Amino acid sequence: MTTQVMHQDFRTCPVTGLKVHRDAERLIRANAVAATVSLLIGGIAAVLVLLTRWQAVHLLPAHWFYRILTVHGMSMLIFFILFFEMGILYFTSAVLLNSRVAAPRTAWGAFWLMVGGALVVEWAMWTGRADVLFSSYVPLRAHPLYYLGVILFAVGALVVTILFFATLVVAKRERTYQGSVPLVTYGGATAAIISVITLGHGAGIYIPTFLWSLGLMEVDPQVYRMVWWALGHSSQQINVAAMVAVWYLLGALTVGAVVLNEKISRTAFVLYILFISLASAHHLLVDPGMGPAWKIVNTSYFMYMAVLASLIHGFTVPAGIELGQRLRGFSDGLFGWLRRAPWGDPGFSSMVFSIVVFGFVGGITGVTFGTEQINIIAHNTLRIPGHFHSTVVSGTAMAFMGLTYYVIPLIFRKQIAFYPLARIQPYLFAGGMLVFSITMTFAGTFGVPRRHWDISFAQAPFDVQFNPAVDLLLGVMAVGGLVAATGGAIYILVTVSSVFFGKPLEAPVGAAAGVPPGIAAPPRHLPDADRINEELHSPARGLWGPAPGTLALVAVFLLAFVIYYFVNWKLLSFVWKVG
Amino acid sequence: MPPEQDPATDPAEPIPLGQRFFDNWLLLMVLGIAIMLVVFTGWGLYEITSLKPAPLP
Amino acid sequence: METHTGIESPKGVWWKRAHPTERMWVVIAFGWCMVLFAMMPLWHFKGGQNPAGVRYRVKPADYMRRTQEFIAAYKVGIDQGIPIVEPPPGSDIYLIGLSFAWQPILKLRQGTEYTLHLSSLDVNHGFSLYPMNINFQVVPGYDYGLRVTPTEAGDLRIVCNEFCGIGHHTMVGRVIVTDSAGREVAAAERAALTREATP
Repeated sequence: MTTQVMHQDFRTCPVTGLKVHRDAERLIRANAVAATVSLLIGGIAAVLVLLTRWQAVHLLPAHWFYRILTVHGMSMLIFFILFFEMGILYFTSAVLLNSRVAAPRTAWGAFWLMVGGALVVEWAMWTGRADVLFSSYVPLRAHPLYYLGVILFAVGALVVTILFFATLVVAKRERTYQGSVPLVTYGGATAAIISVITLGHGAGIYIPTFLWSLGLMEVDPQVYRMVWWALGHSSQQINVAAMVAVWYLLGALTVGAVVLNEKISRTAFVLYILFISLASAHHLLVDPGMGPAWKIVNTSYFMYMAVLASLIHGFTVPAGIELGQRLRGFSDGLFGWLRRAPWGDPGFSSMVFSIVVFGFVGGITGVTFGTEQINIIAHNTLRIPGHFHSTVVSGTAMAFMGLTYYVIPLIFRKQIAFYPLARIQPYLFAGGMLVFSITMTFAGTFGVPRRHWDISFAQAPFDVQFNPAVDLLLGVMAVGGLVAATGGAIYILVTVSSVFFGKPLEAPVGAAAGVPPGIAAPPRHLPDADRINEELHSPARGLWGPAPGTLALVAVFLLAFVIYYFVNWKLLSFVWKVG
Repeated sequence: MPPEQDPATDPAEPIPLGQRFFDNWLLLMVLGIAIMLVVFTGWGLYEITSLKPAPLP
Repeated sequence: METHTGIESPKGVWWKRAHPTERMWVVIAFGWCMVLFAMMPLWHFKGGQNPAGVRYRVKPADYMRRTQEFIAAYKVGIDQGIPIVEPPPGSDIYLIGLSFAWQPILKLRQGTEYTLHLSSLDVNHGFSLYPMNINFQVVPGYDYGLRVTPTEAGDLRIVCNEFCGIGHHTMVGRVIVTDSAGREVAAAERAALTREATP
């Protein structure tokens, strides 16, 4: 295979100056389209499920509810998110490093393998051959092709992950960049490494389970749960790393956010690499197979070192945004940088909502329920999906949607269609999901079960009367969900229209109608930014430091965390003695 | 940044060990996989398989 | 002082000391992480709720037989075709999860400790005791023995909160907790207890 790269295999981006490999561009586009199709399927399923758990409507009959719930989980958590992340891997390797993609033909093969696997799995689910829910706990049994489809998809994703690293090697060898890789690429590498851990365990459990579904071997149910969650929860940690990388990326593109300290930010990514996958134990805290020592060490991401990493990013990301804004001259008072930020830029607003909801709702609830003992009052209640909708949906998916508004002009080189709708989309989606997640979590504290078709228990031998507040909560939850779904539908409308029917973007890029501000007028620091930066870092400012607004915000966050955490210990102390 | 415009690393300034460690994605991957396989998977399997049969009097 | 964004390669040595504010935040965050970590072992020693239990492997057929002996020994009644069992204080008590019912109905006494064994005869089930909101995973092939002490009298429910098949939402069991004198809670009080239960 030739390594002689022709000049016309690249184009130069008129906005960033990066050299974009044409194969990288095509691969990003293909994965983005596949991600959006998966999002559409998962989104339709979301609305159907939501209208069923809203007991007043109770749309689907029981067997369709469990079936569509399976479709929703798989299409969103595996297909949508992973296709999008493959695009991010190509972007953070080839594009950010001005490099060619290593082995483009293999990359395309991997893409089609993922598409094929996804189609097989969707067919199995929709035809009722896999009514086993996203986690497919053995001994619940699906059709063998269901497991095979997942394996094919995972193999494709693993190949793309390997090609990411191969591209890093190629870029280094061909000296397409100097020094260390950019921080955003480092975040991509973090996601890719966690992906190897995740998919390795996925293969380790889906291959035996596939054989079991053919009657060829036994699979122990407790071993299944343990190894499956090493895939199931770790795949969400890929999402965390990718999301944080996207925060740094969107920060740079929308407001010229700076990196405060590479060592600190990269330390946080390294802590993710080493320890974040351990918290797959979150789902196993009230399982019989493992003891307290294993549970405590693993659920804590090894003494909460990966939580430390998130707390670090929780400071450095907004601080970088604040600093970037101050260096552009928006430096009045404690929060002038935030008030005068580009809130009409859908890339910016998506990023901020992602950071805030992921941190305040997702992070705090996750660490709290992930405590070995507090899990007793949370496991399998609606608190769990309430938590993960505030992390992977309001966090990761929101960030990915924000990124799309830059991918459309930068990679698809189209203007954004229906741009006024695009500008409000993040507000609708984030607002709806916030209401959805909070009411769902609250309903869970009353004991409402997850994955359950009928909490009126009409067909059960004994009556169960939930507090009447539960009906109100689920109704409000449904409304929040419908608002979010509208936001999701707008996202799909905007992206599909832009990509297939949008006006091409001409260089040089001016303030055309459908172009976010970060591209029409890229953020520039003031000419004397270095001097301003020196002042902001001077000891005369004391401990408030260069980003006082952020310091105030993280103090509020920490206070909320401490309160929520200890309130839950108190709640736990009221129940039966259990030991 | 395109390589043509970029000053090369100052040869007089040695790269600290920590920076070289962080730049070594392969080593980090090996460590990440190893920690997971030992602390979560390996220990977990050991926990499950070392459970005794219930006495059931 | 140079600045760069996250999409630019840092030049030369970037392994540098951070600003004191950033370092202060890392120290505070680290301190909070140590508090988080300390809480779990601490609660094992000082707290009343832990998922430790006594845990074993078990063959479903053996567990079923043992539960049937248990039912035969302490049966005091029947409700909806499910036997009601009133075991002596401090004893090992057995609950079966089997699609789509919980067997038997346990009649326990407030303030008394029992070792509650949980297992499934077929697929995963979720033991969710309502309204106290106590939740445990019930796995076939495993016996999860939890030392429990009911804290107040009432007529409780066991909701299955792990998907176990098409009848999952009909899988509801019952636990009766008598007061410390052995009396059942009256029906009207019982209804009030479950409806007004708040977290």
